Amino acid sequence: MGRYVIRRLIQAIPVLLGATLLIYALVHYLPGDPVQALAGEKRVDPLLRELIREKYHLDDPFLVQYWNYISGVFQGDLGESLTGRAVTDMISEAFPYTVNLALVAFIIEAVVGVLAGVMAALRRGKFLDQLVLISTLLVISIPVFVTGFALQLLLGVKLKNDYGIDFFPVSFHEEDGLRAYLLPAFVLASTSLAYVARLTRTSLMETMRADYVRTAVAKGLKRRRVIGRHALRNALIPIVTFLGADLGGLMGGAVITEKIFNMHGIGGLLAQSVYQKQGTVIVGMVTLLVVIYLVTTLLVDLLYAVLDPRIRYE
Amino acid sequence: MRGATQTKWIVAATAIALAATACSASSKSSDSKAGASAGGTIAVELGEPQHGLVPQNTAESEGSEVLNAVFAGLVDYDRKTNAPKLRVAESIESTDSKVWTIKLKDGYTFHNGEKVTAKSFVDAWNYGANQDNAQESLPFFSKIEGSEELAPGKDKKPSAKELKGLKVVDDKTFTVTLSAPFSQFKTMLGYNAFYPLPTAFFNDPKAFGEKPIGNGPFEMDGAWEHNKQIKVKRFENFPSSDTKAKLAGVTFKIYDNLDTAYNDLRADNIQATDKLPISAMSTVKSEFGDRYIYKPESGVGYIGFPIATNPETYGKPEIRKAISMAIDREAITKTIFSGTRVPADDFVNPLVNGYRKGAMGDAAKYDPVKAKELFTQANGVPNNTIELGYNADGGHKEWIEAVGNQLKKNLGVEVTFKPFEKFGKILDALGDKQYSGAFRMAWSMDYPSIENYLRPIFSKVAIENGSNYGGYVNEQFETLLSQADQAKTEEEGLKLYQQADDVLIQDLPYIPVYTYMSSAAYTKKIKNFDTDAQGHMNLAEVELA
Repeated sequence: MGRYVIRRLIQAIPVLLGATLLIYALVHYLPGDPVQALAGEKRVDPLLRELIREKYHLDDPFLVQYWNYISGVFQGDLGESLTGRAVTDMISEAFPYTVNLALVAFIIEAVVGVLAGVMAALRRGKFLDQLVLISTLLVISIPVFVTGFALQLLLGVKLKNDYGIDFFPVSFHEEDGLRAYLLPAFVLASTSLAYVARLTRTSLMETMRADYVRTAVAKGLKRRRVIGRHALRNALIPIVTFLGADLGGLMGGAVITEKIFNMHGIGGLLAQSVYQKQGTVIVGMVTLLVVIYLVTTLLVDLLYAVLDPRIRYE
Repeated sequence: MRGATQTKWIVAATAIALAATACSASSKSSDSKAGASAGGTIAVELGEPQHGLVPQNTAESEGSEVLNAVFAGLVDYDRKTNAPKLRVAESIESTDSKVWTIKLKDGYTFHNGEKVTAKSFVDAWNYGANQDNAQESLPFFSKIEGSEELAPGKDKKPSAKELKGLKVVDDKTFTVTLSAPFSQFKTMLGYNAFYPLPTAFFNDPKAFGEKPIGNGPFEMDGAWEHNKQIKVKRFENFPSSDTKAKLAGVTFKIYDNLDTAYNDLRADNIQATDKLPISAMSTVKSEFGDRYIYKPESGVGYIGFPIATNPETYGKPEIRKAISMAIDREAITKTIFSGTRVPADDFVNPLVNGYRKGAMGDAAKYDPVKAKELFTQANGVPNNTIELGYNADGGHKEWIEAVGNQLKKNLGVEVTFKPFEKFGKILDALGDKQYSGAFRMAWSMDYPSIENYLRPIFSKVAIENGSNYGGYVNEQFETLLSQADQAKTEEEGLKLYQQADDVLIQDLPYIPVYTYMSSAAYTKKIKNFDTDAQGHMNLAEVELA
């Protein structure tokens, strides 16, 4: 196991280097002038434009720019945005919001999703099953920004104005602690939650018909133990894969949810930087996201071995 | 045991509550000295400013909004007439519109106690004018004598550190010599590029940008919390000759989405915003009543013509006039923009001194019959086709297509639409002669002067350095502009600028289609809220209702 982890980590280095080079090149060759992009539609004074381009070495050849950048990265310096802020500062400000939001959303979708799926699977065709099926279908078919704005208006504005209940903030306030994350996280988790519920339901129903489950029942084990120990554990493998990939995605920021609830996380920062052609900011963040993906996929792979002892990594 | 802990908690809570009331009580007593019903804090909407909060490096609205609270300029603008009125300046005088003598009032200090002197202004302007500092306001100082020595161009070193045209006479007086007379110089001075700086700035400009030390009615209350908020509190030593802040503090809450800010306003989580989302336009009036403010803003939307590169199609003023008359501005502003824009009827914006209502006369009137007549008399356009280019990233598709359909219907021409990724792309394509059709164009002012709606968009120098993308040149217009610049008084200058405006109305190098309306709203918690010509909130005058 240890050797496997080390091998995976070593493999990650070329992936990271390749990713930064690729993204840096993509941003570099995007048409348009980043200095103009910052100024909006007014033409930037020609001299001022030259001065800013010079200050940020925008006129150097591509490889020179990349070399300067990547040698900075190895010294822990992710460079500066065109607005004069250190990229490390920007990321470290935005990242905690994204991580917290992702974790709360992840917990909601994992717990509620798996529970709903298990209950539906065990009461196949009954009212509860139908309820889960219909409600998840509804959630999947409504776009996130509709759910987001609707809940914001109902729980944030109407509840406060009409009933004096000021529990769900309209926009994100750090000071509100966990409460501030509940609504955004629920909105963010809603679609995945629906998928997790449906996936769990199908997967569990299938395993319930497997030979070893029948054997376990025949052995006279308690129903609880049959489901918890034998059926669910096996049924969870596809769900863990889904959740793992989803966690990576959640960590990459949620542009729409962040925007609706005014959380200044990674998603919004990335979207804005792409629009403004802020090369260093984009590359810095994407590098970080690649690391996150590499780590979460590694964790998921390791988790397989825990769930299914037959899987070995050596 | 349990009871004991509970008691402890209650005691602690009471202590905290008492401490809290004690704090607010003490601040209240100091308030009552300052003014009658002064006090309280509010939150208002803001977008994240682009740069550090340095007046000379701020050319966008969000940073400017904060600077307006933290600094006080030589002049500010009357909220009714938009004419400049003296603020930190005691007098701003000139006999020839070239050499200006500026005297300062007593009593203004920076928030760190440093006196605001002539030097505070001169040093700040020298800093802004020096290309080594690459400040965004660099172009604003180009009118001052000696600016080319401080900004000689790329790869050259400035040959001086100070503008030749700035002279400190004494603590309270300095003179400004311009390289050429400019009768509207006074109107420029309310812009944040011309704010003063304390000596503390020059020690560490970067740190200053995070927590600026100004001379305005509010001082920073802690440093800028990026993407979260900027807090300011009342500056107690602000001179009583100026408007002292009534509120104890204001929090600029940072949003990147107007819909969310508006929902926060509806829930009274913030008390004012000067930007409303389009989605709010249909209901804001019924929800906010007279706490909804709707007034002209500095933006203009035009249809531009590549006169220089495609004279065959767009070279004739009659053709441009026909196009202008075939556009139903009323319908476009009402149905597409839900009243957030109004029909344009002058090249000069309603916001600035010198605007004449209906100045464009016929040219801005919707008259399809006459338009068609004019168009036919001028022999139409080659291939009977007009091209309309727009940038697809800013919600322009709808109105450009509406214009196109009106032209099709009223002039009987073919209209093709050409979307570009960004506005800059249109300019690139025009520059490389890849595109030679008409294009969407917009302008918003840098300082509230009639001149700012003429020279930067239509003069010869603006082909290289400004927004004259069509390459329009008219010698008479140039002459009138320079005469207006040299006028001895502001009023005389105004008349000459209006004559220059008349030349544009004859020529229609661009067609003004609409001007923007700004909309703001505030909650029941506050009163006396308003916005000014630059779109700034009048936070110093706001008080709790």
